[in-house]
Amino acid sequence: MITLVLVSLVPFIYAVYLSFHQAKYGRVTDFIWFDNYVTLLTSGTFWNSMYVAGVFVLIAVPVEFMLGMAGALVLNKGVWGRSILVPLLFIPTMMAPIVVGLLWKIMLAGSWGVLSYNIIERFDLVSGTSIFASERYALLALVFIDIWQWTPFMMLAFFAGLQALPQGPYRAAAVDGASQMQIFARLTLPLMAPLLFVIGLLRFIDAFKIFDTIFILTKGGPGTTTESPSLLAYKMTFEFWNIGEASALAVFVWIIFFAVCTVFYHIAKKKLNAF
Amino acid sequence: MEQKSSIGLGLRTAAAVICALIVLFPVLWMVAMVFKPADVMFARPTVFFYTPTLANFAYVIEQGFVNNLITSLALGIFSTILVVIIGTPAAYSFARFELKAKEDLFLFILASRMAPPVCLVIPFYLIYAKVGLLDTFVGLSLAYMTFNLSFYVWVLRSFCRDLPVELEEAAILEGWSKAQVFRRIVFPLLRNGIVATSVLCFIFAWNEFLFAFMLGGDSVQPLPVAIPKLITAQGVRWGEVAVVGVVSLIPVLAVVVLLQRHIVRGLTMGAVKG
Repeated sequence: MITLVLVSLVPFIYAVYLSFHQAKYGRVTDFIWFDNYVTLLTSGTFWNSMYVAGVFVLIAVPVEFMLGMAGALVLNKGVWGRSILVPLLFIPTMMAPIVVGLLWKIMLAGSWGVLSYNIIERFDLVSGTSIFASERYALLALVFIDIWQWTPFMMLAFFAGLQALPQGPYRAAAVDGASQMQIFARLTLPLMAPLLFVIGLLRFIDAFKIFDTIFILTKGGPGTTTESPSLLAYKMTFEFWNIGEASALAVFVWIIFFAVCTVFYHIAKKKLNAF
Repeated sequence: MEQKSSIGLGLRTAAAVICALIVLFPVLWMVAMVFKPADVMFARPTVFFYTPTLANFAYVIEQGFVNNLITSLALGIFSTILVVIIGTPAAYSFARFELKAKEDLFLFILASRMAPPVCLVIPFYLIYAKVGLLDTFVGLSLAYMTFNLSFYVWVLRSFCRDLPVELEEAAILEGWSKAQVFRRIVFPLLRNGIVATSVLCFIFAWNEFLFAFMLGGDSVQPLPVAIPKLITAQGVRWGEVAVVGVVSLIPVLAVVVLLQRHIVRGLTMGAVKG
């Protein structure tokens, strides 16, 4: 137990400590109160990264949610060979993010990628060399990849949730002559609410902190168009060696997450009896 | 009516299969690339049929990727064992005993799991640089342990809660010590949960990139980090990249087939009971 607390606390405390210090090029020097935070919050790059993460999360998560739900409903209605299909759908989710990145680099690589040549180039969708070098589409491409990776998982999670629903209310609804839409809106959704809530929260957080895929595909570029907060923190640390400010960013994001988690946890616990 | 529902079933199956194929196409394409000779790799238009070759494997082995593979396996297994040893009692106590500020502590642990890995890697990097754990096997295993531990405790707690308390209470009445109860009753009952959760931990360690990239180095280089070795002066050796990618998929496939029910439970942190 103590170990558990220690291992999760020590890095955090050290990050807080660093965030209050002038720490550049690996040397921790003066204690400078909130200067790192001020610099951070007034810098354009920080808000840019927040914007990138915002766009990413706000497109990817809802799309995954809806597609996943639709898929789950279809699966739940009954499909031949479901027991073969289901494990296959886990593959994208369980793959290493770095391999996902490479995979899509292969699919969409400049001139020879199977998709970039056969679809994008043929229909002239993106001019120039590679979609990842396009200022307009690089972020969308990353969103697309995230959707590819996580929709199947959402689908299976919702499917598991649907399977676990009690049958009683459905029989009652059928007796009452409720329509399919009514059953879905009044019965399925409320019954699934805790699950939707938890999955939504987890996906939101995971999408917000995405790093590996962006790192291997665009490194935040072109320019800073795909520079997520994780990537920004990485660059601050290992390219500019501005460890103090990077730590401030880390702590800031951490606090946001902690606040979000706490609030959601309590709401979920009280209202929905999730967890 | 019967007729209609079987048409519906057929349609749904067709739709599902088409979706699955779309989802899996990139993966299958990568698997096919493993056997693709270099001369058709970059062909425009895309060449769909070719004589398979094993040349890509030869190069990968020549570059010492077997070592990286062993490193990856060893790191995954070692860090997971650590997690199981420390995490199992912790998860049990979270599920059973009343502790002061348990909820807050628990939330904090959860939040540390939620923090972007980059936030964690910075302090790790600086601490490791000071104590000389950079580029060591132990250092990287400890780092993996940190990020898997909170996950493990969280998920295993949900398994613990499924156990009947009565059994343990009865054993206590019989005069067993808490340690005995844990060893003889809880542990055997939890075995499935422990196996499922620890396998997921292994996969996370196996898939991990950032920590390995920052805290590892030439002497400890797991598979994902070794891929840049294939980016040569003559360009990226994509066929070989595909080989490494496919190799890294093997444990994932095994897990997917063996543990499918538990994956959802694990990845929703215990919210869905599989």
